[in-house]
Amino acid sequence: MPNPIKPERSVVTTCAYCGVGCNFKAETHQGRVVRMIPWKDGKANHGHSCIKGRFAFDYYNHPDRILKPMIRDSIDEVWHEVSWEHAFEFAAARFRRIQKRHGARSIGAVSSSRCTNEEIFLVQKLARAVFGNNNIDNCARICHSPTQFGLSATVGWGAASQHFDSILQADVIMVVGANPTEGHPVFGSLLKRRVRQGARLIVIDPRQTETVRSPHVVADVHLALRPGTNVAVLDSIAHVVVREKLYNEAFVRERCEWHEFEHWAGLVGSERYAPEVIGPQAGLDPEDIRRAARLYASGPNSAIYYGLGVTEHSQGSTGVMCLGNLSLACGMLGREGVGVNPLRGQGNVQGGSCLGSWPHVFSGYRFVTDDEVRGSFEAEWGVTLDAEPGLRLPNMFDAALTGHFRGMFIMGEDPVQSDPNQDHTIAAMREMECVVVQDLFLNETAKYAHVFLPGSSSLEKDGTFTGAERRVNRVRKVVEPLAGLQDWEIVVKLMNAMGYPVHYDHAGQVLDEVARLSPAYKGLSFELLDRVGSAQWPVDENAPEGTEVLHRERFPRANGRGTFMLTEYVPTRERTSDQHPLLLTTGRILSQYNVGTQTRRTANNHWHAEDLLEISAGDAAVRGIKDGDRVWLSSRFGATQLRARLSTRVNPGVVYTTFHHVETRVNVVTSDLSDWATNCPEYKVTAVEVSLVAPAGVAAAGRGEPRREGARAGAQGGNAAPVAGHESGASRAEAHA
Amino acid sequence: MNALHEPLPQGRSEDPVLAMERLLGMANQIGDFFAPYPPARRAEGIRNHLRTYWDPRMRDALLAHIDGGGSGLAEHVLQGALLLRDGEPKKGYYGPPKA
Repeated sequence: MPNPIKPERSVVTTCAYCGVGCNFKAETHQGRVVRMIPWKDGKANHGHSCIKGRFAFDYYNHPDRILKPMIRDSIDEVWHEVSWEHAFEFAAARFRRIQKRHGARSIGAVSSSRCTNEEIFLVQKLARAVFGNNNIDNCARICHSPTQFGLSATVGWGAASQHFDSILQADVIMVVGANPTEGHPVFGSLLKRRVRQGARLIVIDPRQTETVRSPHVVADVHLALRPGTNVAVLDSIAHVVVREKLYNEAFVRERCEWHEFEHWAGLVGSERYAPEVIGPQAGLDPEDIRRAARLYASGPNSAIYYGLGVTEHSQGSTGVMCLGNLSLACGMLGREGVGVNPLRGQGNVQGGSCLGSWPHVFSGYRFVTDDEVRGSFEAEWGVTLDAEPGLRLPNMFDAALTGHFRGMFIMGEDPVQSDPNQDHTIAAMREMECVVVQDLFLNETAKYAHVFLPGSSSLEKDGTFTGAERRVNRVRKVVEPLAGLQDWEIVVKLMNAMGYPVHYDHAGQVLDEVARLSPAYKGLSFELLDRVGSAQWPVDENAPEGTEVLHRERFPRANGRGTFMLTEYVPTRERTSDQHPLLLTTGRILSQYNVGTQTRRTANNHWHAEDLLEISAGDAAVRGIKDGDRVWLSSRFGATQLRARLSTRVNPGVVYTTFHHVETRVNVVTSDLSDWATNCPEYKVTAVEVSLVAPAGVAAAGRGEPRREGARAGAQGGNAAPVAGHESGASRAEAHA
Repeated sequence: MNALHEPLPQGRSEDPVLAMERLLGMANQIGDFFAPYPPARRAEGIRNHLRTYWDPRMRDALLAHIDGGGSGLAEHVLQGALLLRDGEPKKGYYGPPKA
């Protein structure tokens, strides 16, 4: 059939959805994007794509887009459209007024993985050089911050050790708390291809995901553990490795700190981590734990891939350390086919981590407390910088409730929808005197904002994204920014309005500055990327076109050796009770993306029009629930409604839902517990009850909204039922991806 | 080097920057991780973590609470936090100190 629309122009760029980072040719007709063609030379995708990157691009042109800056004196007033200059002056004056009254540390900023490396770097610069504090965070806080912490502690760098194609040389693949066939589909296909070629597959996940069983691919071992027992189960696997002497002693002696290995082996080798002890706690057959351990250790090439099912726990960082420990002990690092690899949920969340949007490290993971490092940034930026770590995102909200934090710049994020314990977040937002939101759409957070700056989608700007395999890839402007400015230009103009004179001719100059200040990005430039397509960091004099496999000869630690952390299992304080006897966990589906801001504004919405609560037949029957019934889902934090789906994918005692639709409001229910090291929220374990919603007209006692024990009194206003077309933002929300 | 902006006051309110209940919960969680380490490394690990990752106002609030008796804080967390006053140069840091 002839193609009805003949493209006039084609631009190679990078998909902004998941962390795979597929390259596409974006084709335009009469100034509008009409088609996304997967690019065969893309080094992450080799011409493949999924149904998000391929079809879900039209959100950029959706009528909901806000195209004019807007301000208002208070959040109870209507918005007024103003000029860009007026909006910048208004925001700058408010921020400076707050700082004069309440101190330099009373405001902060949050950047987004929806934005480019260059933009994330500039938001860091805005906070540190212009606000004069380190109150700067990014959305990795609520997804993979434990990856940065846990992998840095063990193997030295908080990033994937491999490139995606490395999996084609793996003999054993262990997937932990991730569902790549839904969440990272192009990589998921590569994984399945390798399993069909004969690689053995271990899946550790409470739910029987597509990765566990699909046509032609069945996992050899599926550990359907009880949510919250990751560390116990991974320690138990380590127990078997230690007790049966399956570890690689030569590798540990040559490449690691042997005495730390001995400490660790003493801990995990103790009786309390025997599969016979842990199995019953985690709901597993001890023999399955032994099988998983023997299979992983046998290799010869075993590779670990993991996701938010590891990180989003009160022991998220400990869980990541368990994976680092295990791969070191078995010698599964430093060559093709092995490794420990976080599957990053969003297009540029690895970049968010690398580019210094953190309260404790600059770009390149170097500490703000280090005088020499800070000196190099002070010399480049021409200002004195704060030598103390700043507030993390959840700390900012907590400090808003004590009056210490009063203003916030939020780029491409929607914390009200994506952060846990929504009532608490809303109460904090209402306390602030100046909230500036830069986004494509009026998201939930914008309800509590005083300034709205209309942002640009990834089709409207230049820059780079860093994918989950450390691959830095060009984002190219396909169409002109609808609101007139690229996101990085907006940040620069806000800096200027606050009295900091800085200018860049184009985004490439920002990357040049990144390269001057961040060792792993040292050799990167638009020129290099235009020449070689993409490059995996570190890119420097030793690896001028990038590095596919890390840790080949040494680990990036002071003594060059990998080390072992003591990973004692500490059960979460989130426990089931008589009132909340079930455990809720969450995940994503193929056709939609995170809080759905983009995908719901495309025809992809027809594939998944609502979030459903998966529940086992037994748990449903005792509650009188049938397939398709509307149910209340309640926790000690809040309650929401959705429809139930009877499913054999979840074990009795566990319920599961996706979180793509604003109406579902899953984060009304999720708890405020967080990871001990990073404050990454514990999205993956919430004690809940499920009950039937009374049919229309029936208001019998005990069948209405469940009692919300301990629920916070934050629901005062602003929390009404969301209005269609007024929901979430351009934002991300790695929230439970 | 010239500071671009005038020096601004650092905070104002007398109340802790985060609710004390939250700070104690976070501190005890950190203590849970370091608990299996030998006493000296355990204390240094806790100190280093607080120094590297906590806003100074959070650390000051914790120390003020300890001066007031430190109720609700595990003993080894209290000992580790008190090392914040030892005056060693600040260094960024992942994980517990080496044996």
